[in-house]
Amino acid sequence: MSRYLERTEDTARIVSAYNHLIMDLPKGAEPGWDIMVQILDAEPYFHQRFRSVNEQNVLKLLVADDGASCSIPYSIEAARENVRTTRDVLPEETWELVNELSLFVREVAPNSVGRRNRHAFLAEVISRCQTINGLMASTLTRDHAYSFIKVGRLLECADMATRMVDVGAGDILDRDGSTSAFDPLLWGAMLQARSAGSAYRRQVGPLVDRNAVVNFVFLDTAFPRSVKFCMQGIGQELGRLANHDEPLRAVGRVWRRLNRLTKEDMTQAELHAFIDDFQQQLNQLHTAIEEAWFRVASA
Amino acid sequence: MEESWKTYRSEGFFDESMTPKGNPRAAANQAIKFLHSLSPDELASRRVAAELAIKEMGISFTVYTEGGNIDRAWPFDFIPRIITAREWSQLSLGLLQRMRALNCFIDDIYNEQKILADGSVPAEIVLDSNNYLEPCAGVKPAFGVWAHVCGSDIVRDHKGQFFVLEDNLRVPSGVSYMIENREITKRVLPELFENYSILPLDDYPLKLYQTLAALSPRARRRPNIVVLTPGIYNAAYFEHAYLAHGMGAELVEGSDLFVGEDDCVYMRSVDGPTRVDVIYRRINEDFMDPEAFREDSVVGVPGLIRSWKAGRVAIANAPGAGVADDKVIYAFVPDMIQYYLKEKPLVKNVPTYLCMREKDRDYVLSNLDKLVVKPANESGGYGIMVGPHSTKETHKKFARLIEKNPRNYIAQPTLSLSTAPTYVDGSIQPRHLDLRPFILQSKDSWVTPGGLTRVALQKGSLVVNSSQGGGSKDTWIVEGDS
Repeated sequence: MSRYLERTEDTARIVSAYNHLIMDLPKGAEPGWDIMVQILDAEPYFHQRFRSVNEQNVLKLLVADDGASCSIPYSIEAARENVRTTRDVLPEETWELVNELSLFVREVAPNSVGRRNRHAFLAEVISRCQTINGLMASTLTRDHAYSFIKVGRLLECADMATRMVDVGAGDILDRDGSTSAFDPLLWGAMLQARSAGSAYRRQVGPLVDRNAVVNFVFLDTAFPRSVKFCMQGIGQELGRLANHDEPLRAVGRVWRRLNRLTKEDMTQAELHAFIDDFQQQLNQLHTAIEEAWFRVASA
Repeated sequence: MEESWKTYRSEGFFDESMTPKGNPRAAANQAIKFLHSLSPDELASRRVAAELAIKEMGISFTVYTEGGNIDRAWPFDFIPRIITAREWSQLSLGLLQRMRALNCFIDDIYNEQKILADGSVPAEIVLDSNNYLEPCAGVKPAFGVWAHVCGSDIVRDHKGQFFVLEDNLRVPSGVSYMIENREITKRVLPELFENYSILPLDDYPLKLYQTLAALSPRARRRPNIVVLTPGIYNAAYFEHAYLAHGMGAELVEGSDLFVGEDDCVYMRSVDGPTRVDVIYRRINEDFMDPEAFREDSVVGVPGLIRSWKAGRVAIANAPGAGVADDKVIYAFVPDMIQYYLKEKPLVKNVPTYLCMREKDRDYVLSNLDKLVVKPANESGGYGIMVGPHSTKETHKKFARLIEKNPRNYIAQPTLSLSTAPTYVDGSIQPRHLDLRPFILQSKDSWVTPGGLTRVALQKGSLVVNSSQGGGSKDTWIVEGDS
């Protein structure tokens, strides 16, 4: 549930940041609309469903297509289904809030593909996701349910961060020198999509460049949406559960990998290879968690 | 909205978006076509959306009244003002040139005073001015720059030519509203951006940071910059917080700072005193340091000027920079450009009569009904007389004021300020406007692409100040003739 909810919020934030960005860039300097499809790993589905990559189609996919696993309606429905089947361990209001969010999306999403209503819709989705997270943070008993909810959210958050940096950095680097004047805007948009703008400015300063942003998104120890912070939280929660040996070992591997991210200038290829590898480690962690706690022993 | 666009005419004035025959100008064509396509209901709903966005974003400004201070929502007109990049690049070069000359002037005044010795600017108007701060004499700030942030007020006449109306070199405000105006337009009229390449604005806090960081007396990767505000009840507090946030800098009041025995400025923080490298001060210079200036100041920092003179802290704008922020000195800026830069001014001054000159004064006194009379040292539109819109009584009152203190008054012809389409009472009507771009200078210099457009919402009115019923518009500098 929390993973889907986090995915919803992150997707809404990415679309919102991109939406903002394109209005600031001169024609021809903006990244293609498909960059969001790439980040959300939905290219095959997209091309099956649409013929051309354009604003209308990409937004249709992400905002209104309930069949695409990367879309906002799909994630919300999945979260709702999870909550429906685990209501017994969640605070009472959770079900109602998730249900309301689902109704809201079903009703408003089809009219929010166009530019006119897009911003308000995304802002509302983000705010409702945060309400639900806030509800759980302030009322959910710190039991196993809480641990798994937190781990799910952090895992999704870390995963999304790495994908954004991977695709984003690739795109920015692919451009020729003529548009490099806009690099700070592009990196700024990436921070915005991670809701990291203010935190970055306070911690690092207002200058945005590739290395500083990559370092911040991956390694900052105080920002709650950095990859490092997420991994720390996952380690803490898993440590409280019984039968944690395998999953914790997987966390350890991710952690060591993370610490190997050198502060020096990495080439794009190195960064890409690093993230690729890192994502595999994250997947292994996901599997380890599933095997330790969610798979019924067959035999 | 067929009707009000069809009948739209701005007679006798230069309209920025429409030709005298009532057709859209090339750069505004796409935008007007889109606005044209909206029904009256749809337009009204955009207006409501803009008001809502302003409330939600908490964009406000404070008006001082006898009944106390009132926080008012920012008045905004959602139809952007569109200027081509071609027109803009000329103007921005002129503004940079002007800023360079003004800084040469201030540096000269506090050091060698060559321009006074040569008689190009009369010494008495500088040295007898309240804005000339004796304690600043002999100081040599980094890069010879005293005014790091300048907001110049620009108007266009009936032919569309740009003129500088005044330069604000003390604590110019409005830049945060300029950035927020763009944000509101993005939310309210996102479709309008589809056919335009508009120069982005929101890197201003970064440019300001770079301008300030270059002044740091210590070579550090990230100098400690603070924004010094008079406090939470100041009219521009919204902006102070906005800029501090945008730069990742601390927002401080005078009581948060102190000067140590080593003459360095420190900020009180949870972890103990932290040395401050650069102060972006948003308080008036006479309140900055009770040791050097007004003893009764409670918002200042004792010893600040001592520290600044010792080169231990940089202050932007430097104290004393206000000496060039005087409407009499303004009249000499074109001469300064010639004198210091050996260049021809790229952007013009509005013709100005100095009442201190006998010939000018006689002309002013016999033409009060045609001129705009301004005190040399006020801002915010206070103490101004617009001759054609004033009664005989007021003319007489100003005649007495001028005769009593001629040094303190200047007069300018009433300008036919340009207009732009504005949404008023459910229809599109021409309204007068001005423009305040912001210019930064330290190691490098930079001009905002566009600026804060202020618009007089009353029909025929020329008063654009937000404290007096003015509104504002998003300003677009657009590339290509889309």
